[in-house]
Amino acid sequence: MKHSHVINGTKFRDMFAAATSWLEKSSSEIDALNVFPVPDGDTGTNMLLTMRSTIEAGYKISEPISVSEVVQAMATGALMGARGNSGVILSQIWSGLAIGLSEKETFNGKELAYALAKASETAYKGVSNPVEGTILTVLKDISSASQKQASKNGGDVLSVLEAAVTAAAESVANTPTILPVLKEAGVVDAGGQGLFTILDGALRFLRGEAELMQFRKPQLVSAVIPLTPIVVTAPTSIGTDEVPYGYCTEFLLKGKDLEPEKIKRKLIRRGQSLIVVGDDTTVRVHVHSIDPGNIIHFATTLGTVHHVSIRNMDEQHQDFLEMQKNRAPASDIEVLAVSSGKGLADVFTSLGVAGIIHGGQSMNPSTKDILDAVEKLYSNQVIILPNNKNIVLTANKVKELTKKKVHVIPTTTIPQGIATLLAFDYEADYETNIKLMTEAMSGVKTVEVTRAIRSTTFSGLKIKKKQAIGLLDDAIVTVADNPQKALCSTLSRAGIKKAEVVTLYYGEDTTEADALVVKESILAKYPSLQLEIVNGGQPHYNYIGSVE
Amino acid sequence: MAVKIVTDSTSDIPASIAQALGITVVPMTLLFGQESFRDRVDISIEEFYRRLTQEDIAPTTTQPPPGVFTNVCQQILHNGDAVLAIVISSKLSGLYSSIINAFDTITGKEHFYVIDSKLTSLSLGLVVIEAARMAQNGAGLAEISSTVNSLIAKSNTVMAFDTLKYLAKGGRIGKAQCLLGSLLPVKPVLILKDGEITPLTRLRSMTTVSDYLFNQIAGLKKVSALGVGHATTPDTAYALLNRLAVFFPKEQMIHSPISPVLGVYAGPNVLSISYIEE
Repeated sequence: MKHSHVINGTKFRDMFAAATSWLEKSSSEIDALNVFPVPDGDTGTNMLLTMRSTIEAGYKISEPISVSEVVQAMATGALMGARGNSGVILSQIWSGLAIGLSEKETFNGKELAYALAKASETAYKGVSNPVEGTILTVLKDISSASQKQASKNGGDVLSVLEAAVTAAAESVANTPTILPVLKEAGVVDAGGQGLFTILDGALRFLRGEAELMQFRKPQLVSAVIPLTPIVVTAPTSIGTDEVPYGYCTEFLLKGKDLEPEKIKRKLIRRGQSLIVVGDDTTVRVHVHSIDPGNIIHFATTLGTVHHVSIRNMDEQHQDFLEMQKNRAPASDIEVLAVSSGKGLADVFTSLGVAGIIHGGQSMNPSTKDILDAVEKLYSNQVIILPNNKNIVLTANKVKELTKKKVHVIPTTTIPQGIATLLAFDYEADYETNIKLMTEAMSGVKTVEVTRAIRSTTFSGLKIKKKQAIGLLDDAIVTVADNPQKALCSTLSRAGIKKAEVVTLYYGEDTTEADALVVKESILAKYPSLQLEIVNGGQPHYNYIGSVE
Repeated sequence: MAVKIVTDSTSDIPASIAQALGITVVPMTLLFGQESFRDRVDISIEEFYRRLTQEDIAPTTTQPPPGVFTNVCQQILHNGDAVLAIVISSKLSGLYSSIINAFDTITGKEHFYVIDSKLTSLSLGLVVIEAARMAQNGAGLAEISSTVNSLIAKSNTVMAFDTLKYLAKGGRIGKAQCLLGSLLPVKPVLILKDGEITPLTRLRSMTTVSDYLFNQIAGLKKVSALGVGHATTPDTAYALLNRLAVFFPKEQMIHSPISPVLGVYAGPNVLSISYIEE
């Protein structure tokens, strides 16, 4: 492997020209990730167009060239050609790099780390309301990782860039844990991904892989958390929450003695996602506004306005939704599950349901709730897991009300629902999946522990109000003074002795400490059992358990 | 003019069989940071899994350096033989593209065929073995190629992973992304489809894995070749192989450790079956 200790101007622009071609290969995939700040699906394209303008400007300089000369030209090119939110932030990164590398003939690893720090600083400054979990966070992580590497191994550019790319990948993977809208949409941040791809391309070029890059494609970073969109239909929620996105308004302002900071303050209340960057002669403005005319009018009072672009984001959003449909899904069959409790919803989501309908014991969703959830799905082939015997009938009614193919697998408990979902075969067709999933339903025994709501006698069991009762597959089989005792007794009736896998979901009234005590006592008795304790967060039931 | 078969090390063909059938296996490259190894040549399978599971550094893989593969083929052509190269799916590695790219530089390229197998692991290995048998029996380049293409459509590998952690880390997760991040411990089962790794299902325990793989074979009409692959659990693989003997003569089954270059993505404890349907 070649070690590059310093980089000169020619190599610098070649490196980013290669990175731009690299970005081009996945720009449309990056478009499809774009949900923040507005899901208009153009981040990859915008970053690519910005990079093209950057590179073009870099190649207008004739050789021999210094790094400072070329990066200055590229920063100007970026500012002139910046498109969209991410493009403008990218142009800020370039302007920060130009500051960090000013008066440099060449640069080494330490100087690169310094320039990346400047880039991060400048980018944060340009955005009126920096949000974490975006390209900014990725940039910040890149900056700190490269500084750390530079202090360890000062001179080597390659090792600093390697550290930067590794940090970028980790940071991108982490974005959905920071920014909820990404998690909900099931994507990593598009801008962050774009930045990673650019640096990854630069690194590959520096490693001498230019030729190989022609045959390869950049990889999208996978998120560190499960990414499945959830359609939560709360039984009470009616109506829509559609807010118009307005117009994405962009232009270049030229004049004398322009003050970007002042312009930013003037515009801040007139729209969202405001970015104002540039210097006293050239300023680029990007803002999402309901009234773009007003903003352009204001700008013309300051100087001359160029490259005006006003795009209707609601239209873009529609295109984006179409694009999402085209994002190759793993299967064209979607599954909806009824459950209550955040933990259980997370479990279902992590196992790939397309939507959760909030409901369960004593809070049955209406036919309309279920119908709405079905209609919201992309697929025309839907499988519903009601997970409660009182909901099976309601769910079945949906079949008559929709044009979609709907099948209800009559699961009456959460463990049945999960076992059924696990049997889903991604390669099989709708009918086969219904068969496989229905078969799997009987492969699991369900144990539930709850409190008696009144005193009664049931199958010879005398039950006092508030006593703990244990149910095996929906039938009361035991009564005890506390939930732990009821659980143990029901588990042994469920045949825990012969079971391989037991999963216990503890409810909102049960603490993790209690659940862990239960776990230890079961494992002491059955040491070879594969036993998991999961925070289900369900109401009413202290424990729900599956015995397989 | 005899036909020589060349493949890459992800085909998981045991060395003894490769030697007996005259198959040339070109090693892929495995990297632990700056340390580079030729797959199965410079690093033993045991050493590899020890490092994979115990070291912090995540290994990466790459195709053989450009030229290495084609030089091997060029050498065979110089000796007056024809070459049929059957290589790992172009969706999983750039090897096929790089051979095609270098194709025009080869002297005697009219006797050089390259096939993108759309497969990897033993499903590729079984097809290669069949091709090598035909070559030994004197079949020509065109005839073997056409048989290989029809076998590819009937060959597959089903892999049960202990974890998707390694596949996700390696960035080649593709459509199996949907199996990631499960809050319950599950064993993802994957299959090759159109040259890509795609999800099949999820199982709850390694015991059910053997049953599932067994049933996959039971569900096929008839197989003409069968193999079992494993990483760190040869005993489980043997047990499965013995059970599968009801469908296929045991002595003809291929049993092989999964190559470290695939192990980078599959991780320890993986169990797989590969077959050619008749």
